Amino acid sequence: MTRIERRSPVQFKGRIKKWEVRDNWTVALAYEDEGQGPFLVDLSHITRWDLQDKSLSRFNQPPGKEVPELPGSCRLQDGVLVTRMNRTQAVIWHLLSGAPDLPAESGYTDVSDATICLALFGPNALAVAEKLCALDFLDPGKQVPFLLQGPFSHVPCQLVLMERGRGFDGGLLLTCSRGYAESMVHAILGAGAEFGLKPAGKERFTDWLGTAFPAQDTSSRKGKPA
Amino acid sequence: MALTITCPVCGKRNGYEFRYGGEDKGPRPVEEGMTPRSWCDYVHMNACVAGVQKEWWCHKNGCGAWFTIHRNTLTNLEVEGVEVTS
Amino acid sequence: MRLDRLPTLRINPSETCTLHYNGKTSAGVAGDTVATALYANGVRVFGRSLKYHRPRGLYSLDGECSNTCMAVDGIPNVRAENTPAKNGMHIDAQNVQGSADFDWMGFMDKLDWLMPAGFYYRTLHKPACLWPFALKQVRKVAGLGKISPDFKMKGRYAEIYPTADVCVIGGGAAGMSAALAAAEGGLRVILLEARPWLGGSFDYRVSPYDGEKALYQRARELAAQVEAAANIRVFKHAANVGLYNNNLVTAFQVGPEGGAFDERYIEIRAASVVVATGCIERPLLFENNERPGVMQVGCAHRLARTYGLLPGRRAVFSIGHDLGLEAAVDLCDLGMEIACVADIREDGQNPDLLLALAEREIPLLRGWVAAKAYGAKQVKKVTLRTLEGSVKRQLECDLLVASAGRTPLTGPLTLAQARLRFDAHTGYFLPADLPAKMHAAGSLTGRNHPLAIEASGRLAGLKAAADCGANTAEAVAAAAARLSQLPGPERGTKLVMAPVKGRKSFICFDEDTTVKNIKQAIDMGFDVPELIKRFTSAGTGPGQGGIPGHNLPLFAARYQALAGATPVPTTARVPLVPTLLATYAGAHHDMCKRTPLDELQKRDGGVFRRIGVWQRARYFSEDFSCREEVLNVRNNVGMLDGSTLGKFRLHGPDALKALQRVYVGNMVKLTPGKIKYSAMCNEDGCVIDDGVVVKIAENDYYFTTSTVRAGETAEWFRYHTRYDGWDYHIVNFTDALGVINVSGPNARKVLQKVADADLSNEAFPFGGYREFVIQGGIPVRAMRLGFVGELSYELHAPASYMVCLWQILAAAGKEFGIRNFGVEAQNVLRMEKCHIILGVESEQRTNLLDLGLGFLWDRHKTETKTVGTVALRQVEADPARLRLVGIEMDDPRRAPRDGSILVDKRIRGYVCTARRSFTLERSVGMALVEAEMAALGTRLEIYEDECNGQKLAARVVPMPFYDPQGNRMRM
Repeated sequence: MTRIERRSPVQFKGRIKKWEVRDNWTVALAYEDEGQGPFLVDLSHITRWDLQDKSLSRFNQPPGKEVPELPGSCRLQDGVLVTRMNRTQAVIWHLLSGAPDLPAESGYTDVSDATICLALFGPNALAVAEKLCALDFLDPGKQVPFLLQGPFSHVPCQLVLMERGRGFDGGLLLTCSRGYAESMVHAILGAGAEFGLKPAGKERFTDWLGTAFPAQDTSSRKGKPA
Repeated sequence: MALTITCPVCGKRNGYEFRYGGEDKGPRPVEEGMTPRSWCDYVHMNACVAGVQKEWWCHKNGCGAWFTIHRNTLTNLEVEGVEVTS
Repeated sequence: MRLDRLPTLRINPSETCTLHYNGKTSAGVAGDTVATALYANGVRVFGRSLKYHRPRGLYSLDGECSNTCMAVDGIPNVRAENTPAKNGMHIDAQNVQGSADFDWMGFMDKLDWLMPAGFYYRTLHKPACLWPFALKQVRKVAGLGKISPDFKMKGRYAEIYPTADVCVIGGGAAGMSAALAAAEGGLRVILLEARPWLGGSFDYRVSPYDGEKALYQRARELAAQVEAAANIRVFKHAANVGLYNNNLVTAFQVGPEGGAFDERYIEIRAASVVVATGCIERPLLFENNERPGVMQVGCAHRLARTYGLLPGRRAVFSIGHDLGLEAAVDLCDLGMEIACVADIREDGQNPDLLLALAEREIPLLRGWVAAKAYGAKQVKKVTLRTLEGSVKRQLECDLLVASAGRTPLTGPLTLAQARLRFDAHTGYFLPADLPAKMHAAGSLTGRNHPLAIEASGRLAGLKAAADCGANTAEAVAAAAARLSQLPGPERGTKLVMAPVKGRKSFICFDEDTTVKNIKQAIDMGFDVPELIKRFTSAGTGPGQGGIPGHNLPLFAARYQALAGATPVPTTARVPLVPTLLATYAGAHHDMCKRTPLDELQKRDGGVFRRIGVWQRARYFSEDFSCREEVLNVRNNVGMLDGSTLGKFRLHGPDALKALQRVYVGNMVKLTPGKIKYSAMCNEDGCVIDDGVVVKIAENDYYFTTSTVRAGETAEWFRYHTRYDGWDYHIVNFTDALGVINVSGPNARKVLQKVADADLSNEAFPFGGYREFVIQGGIPVRAMRLGFVGELSYELHAPASYMVCLWQILAAAGKEFGIRNFGVEAQNVLRMEKCHIILGVESEQRTNLLDLGLGFLWDRHKTETKTVGTVALRQVEADPARLRLVGIEMDDPRRAPRDGSILVDKRIRGYVCTARRSFTLERSVGMALVEAEMAALGTRLEIYEDECNGQKLAARVVPMPFYDPQGNRMRM
């Protein structure tokens, strides 16, 4: 009998050094020769929920886990990222651990398989992004983490800027339609070649997230009004 | 499409992230009593204002929202005063 | 023999490189352009002109004309003056029969009388049969670079999209001052400079800036400040090519040797823009004014100061600006003999420069101008005349430095829709008004004093910062006050051309347009510069308006001598300087979608084609008729990857209303567990999409769309409900769920082996929808559809499980001989059933009724205001429409190509899809024909491309062709 397994559409060429099997996924934890950064990590296996409702404030339970109010704003707590997409929609990303069962309310949809999810972070990560899109990650009027929805390498994407450091250092999460996986990874790695961008495993991401958000509790304050 | 358009959800963006949705002509008319002429006027006839007009745009490469802006058709620039509709 | 000690040099004489030109190797040094390297090796003739094959040489050193366009490493029309020399480059001259020095076509220059302005428009078309012959001859003789049809562009091209508060175009003293001022408050500033270094017109000049520094030292000081500012990004060797609405600035940058790119496209969105592009020189019009050895002031000066090359041994100057005097003095000091300086101006020269000329005993003739240059391939002698022409003098020389004055580089301003007005004082076209958030600074505005140039830059930079919300009001006032105390714009020369007839005075070098041609055009009635430009093609070459841009309107105004008429400039267009298409293409990431089964199907021999945004397996063998794939589905069982199908969840209290609005069917009648096939129309009743809808629960629906519509479906729903404020939500499942279509008489046997549900015809009938689990782990949504006309299960499963699901089904089907079928086999199968594909059996004008799909339309639900139904009602009785019919070919083995037209005395319709059917052993298809030809049995004649009048015969037959009762899909 064929073993039941789930596959990410992102297949890096590097050799996997360490991996784990979780919920039918084989997750690469580390690759051989991940370089000095920037890094590209495949997070397509993480559970993502789409939440749509006329009044999202209904879902502000439990207290402290409110859905961020302004479109584009984000909240990260206990490895769960909540991004406000628009007036009626939010996305919940279970970045670190496995997710609980999908809540029963009809507003929730599991959309994990709809998109690929990539993390691009480290030195010059935003310089890589600048070669692929005109979106302004360096806008001083916005504070991390924040969400941008727009074209990245010509494909509509949801992009969460998680960290901004010196110059073009920083990190972002990216999701786009799953079908674009191969093209998107090719474009990003191509754009990042001059900066030494390499695929990396999930551990690299977890470490970075821990450094970028030591307290694991970050609500983006309101951006500067446009 | 070098103009910028202000999406009510995403803010000011490059015009080429958007799809044009035509002049704002108001809600769909009641079908009763529609003549081919009046229907055609609703669907295809445009005021073609030389100046500021209210029009629909969709942020197709971004959040997907439909909204209206005011645009000066002589300068092809958005004019302040954006309304949020959906 | 370089001047290798000059502090202004931009070359490194100790580092050499080797170029290959004309069968010889030429040594250049690091920092050389291709042009300067060749010049250093004695090359004076760089190519031959477009029409007359006149020898051409260095003229401006900034690539403003085609004189030095050469083929570099096989790439034609490369501007040698702007291209850094790289080791091992192969250079070829263009438009020569022989070599640039010895061109067999040189006699063309004598035939100019045969070629008056617009001669090919006026002469070569009568009789018409002459044109193809003439075209061939013209192409042989005229033109610039040549490219072979199979040329493959080399190089690495990139792109970058920075955002800035302030973008400054031009890295001279004004631009640098503007950037520094704008950056003072911490704003993000971008500075674009076309040359590989900052400094502009200060960079190569040793004249004093103030008591202590020379201009070049000041330039380097400013450059150091700019480079040190953390919030100023400098793009050097980046020529501005476009300026659009809302300050979208485009440029292309030449990469450093060994860098990450050869050229890259830069697209900047800035809140405010400062244009500080400076001036170029206005060419002087006289006889043989483009003979090699004639060059502009800046060219001669920079050859010496920047590249360490003395441009000649003995020079005559004919100039109209103090920069000319400055260059004469400096070049004299560097060791060149200056025979004479003729200055167009009677007075107004800088007294210091006059003194310097006198000290060096350089003769100065005020009110004189060059009238004619002599020498077959290079200047040997020049005639100078007084402005009115009465007195003349001849001088021997090997260099004639000629310039009528300066002209501002207003291209970016013109692109930005700024209005230009002729200014009588400077003789420039100056901006009369600037668009919002755009500022001009520097010598572009007519100022020449170094301090005034910087002050105008600072003022513009501060104003630009104010555009971005910075509080610079006080600083702006102070900067404006400072500027007002400095010398203002200088008087320009009035001279339009030397006192000659102009038969060999070239107003446009690229197109070999002479003053005489312009006169001919005006005499024929082309009286405004835009018309003259088009008729004589002056200014339409690679240099665009660089050479003729200023002289053409000046000359046109003077020649017509209209009372009160001011010169009108011609329009500049994007790209302002020649740009490689490869650079515009940039990194050229080809973004396409692949299904979860992509890799598996490749392994199984799938032949892939791009279909919309997707790569899909179209065939599974080299037999593109797909005979085996088709017959296996008909007789056994096959599997198709249908993952590209659009799939959506629709939920919320108003979900049903939304469905009712866009679907022509009545969705109130949906019941869980059953699928409904329906269609969407546009406002004209034309079909745009079809698919199935399933009710999952109350206010919760699942529906599919065609592959091509998937990307626009959510947008379509929202557009057509935009006034309603309904509470419904769409989740796009297109990529979330993969689809495998298991079809064929054995489909149930295969699926039953692995599914945990009863799949019997009673438990799961045709038209049913079920959810079950495959092999205890994979959740699927299953539909019983009959697109291919057989027993068929369409399985929708989470994309991440798809590979696994495919393998499970393949294993389960092995005993039955299950095999893949591709999109083309599906196309044949569904065609045999006359199931339509929108976009194939329909085009933009095809409505629901034309396709015979009227049964999908519920005409009673008028209160839903369903999109398209008003139009459908109105065209219902229209006889003048095409109808979809089935056709059968007389020859059972020969189907016409898709898209072939149906004809009698005129076109009566076209073939949508037609194939040789191996199932039926007939050739059948579907066609859209005029209604009067739609009756069964009507004879049709089909005209294929390249059929040489041999039409194919067919007749209208009943649809569908296969299993008309539909028993097989209900098995």
